[in-house]
Amino acid sequence: MSRSDPASTPVQPVEVRLWDPLLRGFHWCLATLVVTNLFLGHFGPAVMTLHFWVGYGIIALLAFRLVWGFVGPAEARFSNFLRGPGAVTRYASHMFRREPSYWPGHNPMGALSVIAMLALLAAQVSTGLISDPEDYINVGPLAGEVASATSRKAVGWHHLGGTLILILVILHIGIVLFYRFWKREDLIMPMITGRKDVIRRG
Amino acid sequence: MKILLAAAAIMSMPVIVHAQSVEDAIEARHGFYKMLSINMGTLAGMAKGEIEYDEAAASRAGANIEALVGYDLPSLFVEGSSMDDNMESAAKPEIWDNPDDFAAKFEDLRSAAAGASDAVMGGQENVGPVVQKLGAACKACHDEYRQPET
Ligand code: HEC
Ligand code: HEM
Repeated sequence: MSRSDPASTPVQPVEVRLWDPLLRGFHWCLATLVVTNLFLGHFGPAVMTLHFWVGYGIIALLAFRLVWGFVGPAEARFSNFLRGPGAVTRYASHMFRREPSYWPGHNPMGALSVIAMLALLAAQVSTGLISDPEDYINVGPLAGEVASATSRKAVGWHHLGGTLILILVILHIGIVLFYRFWKREDLIMPMITGRKDVIRRG
Repeated sequence: MKILLAAAAIMSMPVIVHAQSVEDAIEARHGFYKMLSINMGTLAGMAKGEIEYDEAAASRAGANIEALVGYDLPSLFVEGSSMDDNMESAAKPEIWDNPDDFAAKFEDLRSAAAGASDAVMGGQENVGPVVQKLGAACKACHDEYRQPET
């Protein structure tokens, strides 16, 4: 399936049901849990039981998303929204045009950020699981399964990961606001109601 | 010439002594933390049920921690021994910017350790709360002043 540049076509946008309910539920649960865990990591109680449980919730959500990326509806499938460098640069070249993209799903650049966020979160839960911060109260449940040098290093990776996730979260919100106010395209309501104005070609 | 060499040797001596004392201090505090860790490991293992509860052993570990925190640990954080000055160190330079807060964090560990040897007696269920109190004091200081490895 090859889509050409929807912005250059004179076709009228139509409102469609784009995001399925499970995907929307996944999105808002993940957003809530990730922000909660960033907060708990930095300001939560010294005994981090809650941080661990929220982390397990995130693992469950990531597992769901992985499965949904293969068996879910078309818009949710990795094979459907992961595009080559050509499509990415083509999209990037008109990204700053002051008009809605009417893109039916994840656009080629958005797809990259989706993958970056999911991969980073997967790395973050992995380093958390094997972390041994040597305080004898917050040892990750799998820290004993790896070499002790690894479980000590994992703490540093986990801290770094926390910072990178915060940056991606801010970037993600920033780009949604850029679409809303620069491109005059609302991406937030579609993630709540599932409905979006799109132009489909081919 | 000989005089010059002797003078140079004498002048460089304090530097050598200083470098030596920095390395000693870093090694000493690592040894100190290792001893804390060994005893914390015993208590945490018992609290989780990974080590069988043994009242005498638990009490001994508690007493060791009480004895260890009697040592003046902050004195081992000598000038020139931060992670910026020495590869072996994971001590953040902020320690030297906030010596009073660093000392207070160690004082918190002392308070947490007070009475530990008695508190862990009387049953396995008494160990967990002591470990949590101690561990929270370790974490509070590490969060601010210890650089994790990467
Ligand atoms: C007052 C601050 C403070 C407290 C309290 C504290 N630590 Fe530390 N800890 C440090 C600093 C700073 C370092 C890094 C020292 C260095 O590398 O020179 C460190 C390093 C360590 C290390 C690594 C030592 C090594 O060989 O590299 C261990 C293990 C450790 N701490 C365990 C503990 C345990 C267990 C507790 C609680 C029972 C604890 N610490 C309480 C500040 C503290
Ligand atoms: C995406 C999910 C997660 C996020 C965003 C996250 C974030 C964070 C943050 C920001 C910190 C504080 C780091 C710092 O002080 O700089 C932290 C600490 C920690 N997290 Fe997570 N975390 C996640 C998942 C997990 C999981 C699944 C576990 C283990 C089951 C875990 C275990 C830990 C531990 C042990 C610490 C303490 C490290 C220390 O004392 O320095 N985390 N986390």
